[in-house]
Amino acid sequence: MEVKPIDISARLDAEHRAVFDALPREPSDWSDIPALRARFKADRAAAPQPPLPATVEICDRRLPGPAGAPDPRLRLYSPRTGRGPAALYWIHGGGTVIGDLEMNDHYCANIADRLGILVTSIDYRLAPEHPFPAGLEDCYAGLEWLFASADGLGIDSGRIAVGGGSAGGLLAAALAILARDRGRLRPCFQLLVYPMLDDRNATRSSHAITDPRVWDRASSLAAWDAYLEGRAGAADIPAHAAPARATELAGLPPAFINVGDLDLFLDEDIAYAQALSAAGVPVELHVYPGAYHGSPGAVPDAELSRRWIADELDALGRALGVPAGD
Amino acid sequence: MDIEAIDISSRLDEEHRRVFDSLPMTARDWSDIPALREWTAAERAKLPAAPMPQDVEVSNRLVPGPPGGPDLGLRAYRPRGLPEPAAAVYWIHGGGTVLGQADMNDPYCANIAAALGVLVTSVEYRRAPEHPFPIPLEDCYAGFKWLALSGAEFSIDRDRIAVAGISAGGLLSAGLSLLARDRGEFLPCLQLLNAPMLNDRADTRSSHAVLDPRTWDRDSNLAAWNAYLEGNAGGAGISSYAAPARAAELAGLPPAYVNVGDLDGLLDEVIAYAQAMSHAGVPVELHVYPGAYHGSAISIPDAALSRRWIADELAALGRALGVQRAPEAAR
Repeated sequence: MEVKPIDISARLDAEHRAVFDALPREPSDWSDIPALRARFKADRAAAPQPPLPATVEICDRRLPGPAGAPDPRLRLYSPRTGRGPAALYWIHGGGTVIGDLEMNDHYCANIADRLGILVTSIDYRLAPEHPFPAGLEDCYAGLEWLFASADGLGIDSGRIAVGGGSAGGLLAAALAILARDRGRLRPCFQLLVYPMLDDRNATRSSHAITDPRVWDRASSLAAWDAYLEGRAGAADIPAHAAPARATELAGLPPAFINVGDLDLFLDEDIAYAQALSAAGVPVELHVYPGAYHGSPGAVPDAELSRRWIADELDALGRALGVPAGD
Repeated sequence: MDIEAIDISSRLDEEHRRVFDSLPMTARDWSDIPALREWTAAERAKLPAAPMPQDVEVSNRLVPGPPGGPDLGLRAYRPRGLPEPAAAVYWIHGGGTVLGQADMNDPYCANIAAALGVLVTSVEYRRAPEHPFPIPLEDCYAGFKWLALSGAEFSIDRDRIAVAGISAGGLLSAGLSLLARDRGEFLPCLQLLNAPMLNDRADTRSSHAVLDPRTWDRDSNLAAWNAYLEGNAGGAGISSYAAPARAAELAGLPPAYVNVGDLDGLLDEVIAYAQAMSHAGVPVELHVYPGAYHGSAISIPDAALSRRWIADELAALGRALGVQRAPEAAR
């Protein structure tokens, strides 16, 4: 496909451009995954982190993994007071290859604090060492534990949402499909933040983002190949691996999808929203101009990022029946 | 296209369903346009009227129409304390290019004026089928041009005028934006397209799925397009000014704010247009709201979903026009 690359910097507001233009331009080296992960952690360690809200208790626990697999860790973010009977089951991003629980500590704790709900985050196994379906099955096992533990945790099992960003959005969307197909767990909502959905990488926007300062085409192709053992784009990739492949979306939980207009996932996210809607699933879709992949987290104080997060919280609050507080 | 019709009522919240279920199941009779105009106005009058905000002065004037055309009615909503120069919202009402009139959205327009402290106008464009394309569009263009360039009656900052419209008004707003880009006399700073009609071919999936006459259904959409295009809807050679979904070149358009409900037959063409503008490099904000149907945010303004829809619009207009929202308009 002949598509002109988008000049992201030229389409950012001043708040975003200052951050974006300072990012390193060297492409990620996907031939050395351990180094890539180490760089990800080093970059985070170098960035100043605000303290986590003291109002939220954070603890980790092990829970039963999928058959024959190790027990994954689940991090729980629980408001110390006034917790409502609802939960968000969150899945972090990182292309299924990088990323960890710590990367979304602030995000998860903030939601727990603002909505007064339990938020959990699952430490699933990463590709390429653990390709599909390992990560997804870890996510399923964690969700199964949450549903089984709902009574003890004071959670109404009809008020559990799944959600994730980027590859976490992929796993959340796939988890919603898997849960529907297995027929035992019924999350009430799926929060898909700029989800990675289509292993074919054939949309226009997937060709238009080639700037290594963001999640670019090269990274998307490499991540999908890691997750699918080099078979990204093959004819027989199942919907549980790449939800854009799904032909039957009826019966999925209501969805909230948000994406920036400078994100390579723009077209596949819109297409998925449209396909869900065509299948009768209630869909809320927001496309924000001037946002790129990860920008709400990278530039959290920008007006656009605050609006993005406020819209997410508002939607989650409505879906879970808890109003967003200040 | 073999597509199951959407059961709209079953997908509405209580606030919406109460209103929707009370609407008449009568198919609109497009064979008698004068009677249809009366009937739709009477049906609209049965809905509870939204209150008019205080401190907004409403007035009418005639402004020059397009070359060779008669003067146009332009209704203005002027809030108390309007700054000079002011920002403005140039509103275009809906009704399939056939129905409706400039005062039909009075509370909605006055609310924007009051909440943002901007001038809002609503144009009385000539309607199809008596006046098919390009007459309604040229009327809208002439009214915008007067507002942007005359400077006689209102002190308007011509760089801070948004064009906005719903349904056929969204169509005319999108057409006006294309026309303004190509003629080069002025350019709106934002195009707010609320559930715009865009695609005369009516060939999307959603356009086949909404068949309920209580809303803007497939029959009405086709009839309206044929009124606007003199029976040529879906034909060859339709201008992109007439049907913006036909446009091959969208670069250089004003930033767009596009919103639509997920139960609107226009859903797919609205999304497609937003996406095409984005591909052409136009900054696009798109919101799809679950449980909203065509025009529900205006016809059921008190519902929580409608208040959110309107608050999001006001915030977007405020950002584009460089004005803050008044506290009472907050969500």
